[in-house]
Amino acid sequence: MSKKVGVYICKGCGIGDSLDIEKLAGLPEEEYSIDTVKIHEAFCTKEGVDLIKDDIANGVNAVVIAACSPRVNYDVFDFGVDKIVERVNLREQVAWSHAPKDEDTQMLAEDNLRMGIVKANASEPPVPFKAEEDYSGKLLVVGGGLAGMTAALEAAKAGYEVILVEKEAKLGGFLNKCKQRVTFPYKELTPTGIEDMAAEVSANPNIKVYTSAKVDEISGGPCLFNLKISQNGTQITEKVGSIIQATGWVPYDAKKLPHLGYGRFKDVVTNVEFEEMAKEGKIRRPSDGGEVKTALFIQCAGSRDPEHLPYCSSVCCLVSLKQATYLKEQDPEAVSYILYKDMRTIAQAEDFYRKAQRDGNIFIRGSVEAVGDEGGKLYVAGYDELLGEKIKIEGIDLVVLAVGMVPASKPEAVPKIKAPEGAPGADSEGMIEVAADSGFFANRTLNLLYRQGPELPTLRYGFPDSHFICFPYETRRTGIYTAGCIRRPMESYQAEEDAVGAAMKAIQCIELTMRGMAVHPRAGDMSYPEFFMQRCTQCKRCTEECPFGAINEDEKANPLPQPTRCRRCGVCMGACPERIISFKNYSVPMIGDMIKAIHVPEEDEGKPRVVALICENDAYPALDMAGIKRMSWSPYIRFIPVRCLGSVNLVWIADSLSRGIDGIILLGCRHGDDYQCHFIKGSELANVRLSKVAETLQRLALESDRVRYVEIGIADYHKLPGILDDFMKVIENVGPNPYKGW
Amino acid sequence: MADPKKKGKAEGPVSYDPSFSKEVFEKVDYGEKIKMCMQCGVCAASCPLSMVMDYSPRKIFALIRAGKRSEVLSSKAIMLCTSCYSCKVRCPRKVPVVDVMHGLANYALKQGYVPREETALFGREFWKQILRLGRIDEKDLPRRYFFSKGIIPGIKKSMELADMGIVLMLHKRMKLLPERSVKGIKELRKMLEKASAMGNGGA
Repeated sequence: MSKKVGVYICKGCGIGDSLDIEKLAGLPEEEYSIDTVKIHEAFCTKEGVDLIKDDIANGVNAVVIAACSPRVNYDVFDFGVDKIVERVNLREQVAWSHAPKDEDTQMLAEDNLRMGIVKANASEPPVPFKAEEDYSGKLLVVGGGLAGMTAALEAAKAGYEVILVEKEAKLGGFLNKCKQRVTFPYKELTPTGIEDMAAEVSANPNIKVYTSAKVDEISGGPCLFNLKISQNGTQITEKVGSIIQATGWVPYDAKKLPHLGYGRFKDVVTNVEFEEMAKEGKIRRPSDGGEVKTALFIQCAGSRDPEHLPYCSSVCCLVSLKQATYLKEQDPEAVSYILYKDMRTIAQAEDFYRKAQRDGNIFIRGSVEAVGDEGGKLYVAGYDELLGEKIKIEGIDLVVLAVGMVPASKPEAVPKIKAPEGAPGADSEGMIEVAADSGFFANRTLNLLYRQGPELPTLRYGFPDSHFICFPYETRRTGIYTAGCIRRPMESYQAEEDAVGAAMKAIQCIELTMRGMAVHPRAGDMSYPEFFMQRCTQCKRCTEECPFGAINEDEKANPLPQPTRCRRCGVCMGACPERIISFKNYSVPMIGDMIKAIHVPEEDEGKPRVVALICENDAYPALDMAGIKRMSWSPYIRFIPVRCLGSVNLVWIADSLSRGIDGIILLGCRHGDDYQCHFIKGSELANVRLSKVAETLQRLALESDRVRYVEIGIADYHKLPGILDDFMKVIENVGPNPYKGW
Repeated sequence: MADPKKKGKAEGPVSYDPSFSKEVFEKVDYGEKIKMCMQCGVCAASCPLSMVMDYSPRKIFALIRAGKRSEVLSSKAIMLCTSCYSCKVRCPRKVPVVDVMHGLANYALKQGYVPREETALFGREFWKQILRLGRIDEKDLPRRYFFSKGIIPGIKKSMELADMGIVLMLHKRMKLLPERSVKGIKELRKMLEKASAMGNGGA
């Protein structure tokens, strides 16, 4: 595309008072032969925007606006998808955070402008991806329980066709086993209503239900998912746009709890067995069918126990309250003891706790030491924390173990694969356990034909991984969303809400993919990675490292990108040693050119230069925030926003150092168990890659101190100036880069 | 929990006995409200007297739940409540802790649990003075209480607190002269006598 760049320098919001605007305005013509340069008091006004629009009408198609942060006024400066708009941050990161009318501030603004112009020059307007195949706008829901059916109904009501696959012969899932449920507004027991819902699903013309069926295979990507479903020995093929996995949970195996009497005494049952007994009719002692006059519920049976389920399932307290209510209804004279660690009735469910208290159930906070049999009745011995004494409750007819929820995806035993030669942790047969966050860990449900494994990567407890705080429904496979207890333990009302959320995300995915756009978190982005295959060396790094499994592989290890699965983070671009992966508006040479555009003063001027590669998602807004708060930091740092630290290609570090840049700082999101990276593995990968850089630096006779990686959250803006100034001190101590001026 | 007074603690493990809580729910004024207690301890933290109580209000409720009848009814705590209402105002479960404590004290008396000697003496002197003056004389009541145990302990206790008395007088917080009785003392006496006859007298 032939490009005509226009540069627009704003004087508003204090920029004009801080900088020599006339001098700055001379730069584009002088260095880049750009003749369209305009200055205005405020480009965000109608007059200002019209000025730009006039130029666009006269042929400008790449607009460089040197004004406020790209995080504001993006709607004002939207000139259509075919125009390149590059924003140069002169307000938050220059005028508001550095000394006015200062030489260093002016140099900072000039470098920012140079980088903006270079980037606009190197960018092409993105062309949305469209596969040759026809797109499907249907949804697949796997699992016909409460969450699955709710999601199906919601999507159907919104006008989308839904395919619902249920492994059992009957829809309804776990609620089929339940007598009643406790749900909003948590005052009384209510009917489950699951049969009505199943009937509604079956009758809905937009929903095609396959019961006693399972998914044999899924290939493709969003809007292109090809399914093979088997039902009663026949195989059906379907095509869908997005997928909701609502395969629910299983109770924790009480056989692992012999210390609580399970398996040793017939009158020790789990909450699931109690529920089934209540549903069948009468609550009795399983040993002799006798009356239950005294029941004792042991909460957290196996839960919040590092030996068993280390987490809280959040619903077992409410379930026990419900079951104590069944018993009260059956026999008003019956006594229920509830022995708890903490009563956790979430949000308004507290009302049901109050009801159970009013009913006269006895709540004891403490722990169990022994469950035993004495004269045909059970006793529970333990410690009462609130009394501060040992207790022994005798004459119990029934002990109920409130066992927790295990996601259906959690395997019984961790699957093993053949380990590479000499790998640590391999057993005598050379097999090694797969990591939970690989696609090979979870129980088979979706059977994806993905290079990175057939199932969703999970957390170590088996729940599919997602960015828990910011976008909980997004799993690590684009277009596949989880809802209900597969995602985290939750009670039925929450599962319904969850299903609605997942249905919405699944619909958004279809709509965005059809327009060639990315889903969350870069929703609406139309660029996608393109591979210059002639130079590919089949190193497999891109296919291995993509956090979303978006790249398949052929038998010769050539990457087969699936753009509809892509989240546009650029981790593949950061991975590629041949640098053959690039986006229309984001590429390795482009950032390289930006680094080269920075003017590096001679050593004797005593003005070091540092490049900061800064994550757009958290660190960049944090820096803006620091600017808004009028904090200040070294004017020698040049910030280059990146889509994710995972997209940082190590060649940029080499580029910088060989240009005489004195130091490089990478600012990105927290990684690890409580990661905040928007692309899940990006900042972790960056950290791993960076650890290899030290070696290279030493080879170049450079100090490894020159490169630093810092984790920062969006709320940590107040720490940023300190972090940056610290790094500048280190650079000062290390001294100037010996490659300056080469 | 700071609970240094462990007296009355049984040797073996406590076996929960629901019959006492049932008794409390049915027979003690406001007793049924205890059902709603979730043992958060806000009452204990709010109580200005919990440091001199043998059991905090929270613990009293825990003991009721466990069925420890004699520990509860003979406890000092239920007699010590001064009706400051901090607990009642703060209880997240709306348990009227003050009323329950008084209800328990009242019930304990009816059940023949005699309050400790000090409590009984102070109560007696307190009521005598109310009947006589219709108000409390801040130096006369303690004096009478101190001397009710005999002359020697009376002098001893008065000497102990003499410094405080002088400071209070210097700051005009305590009058030197005896208090006079309130207006309409006769009517007040009639009211108190009637209330007493109705069986709702205090501890």
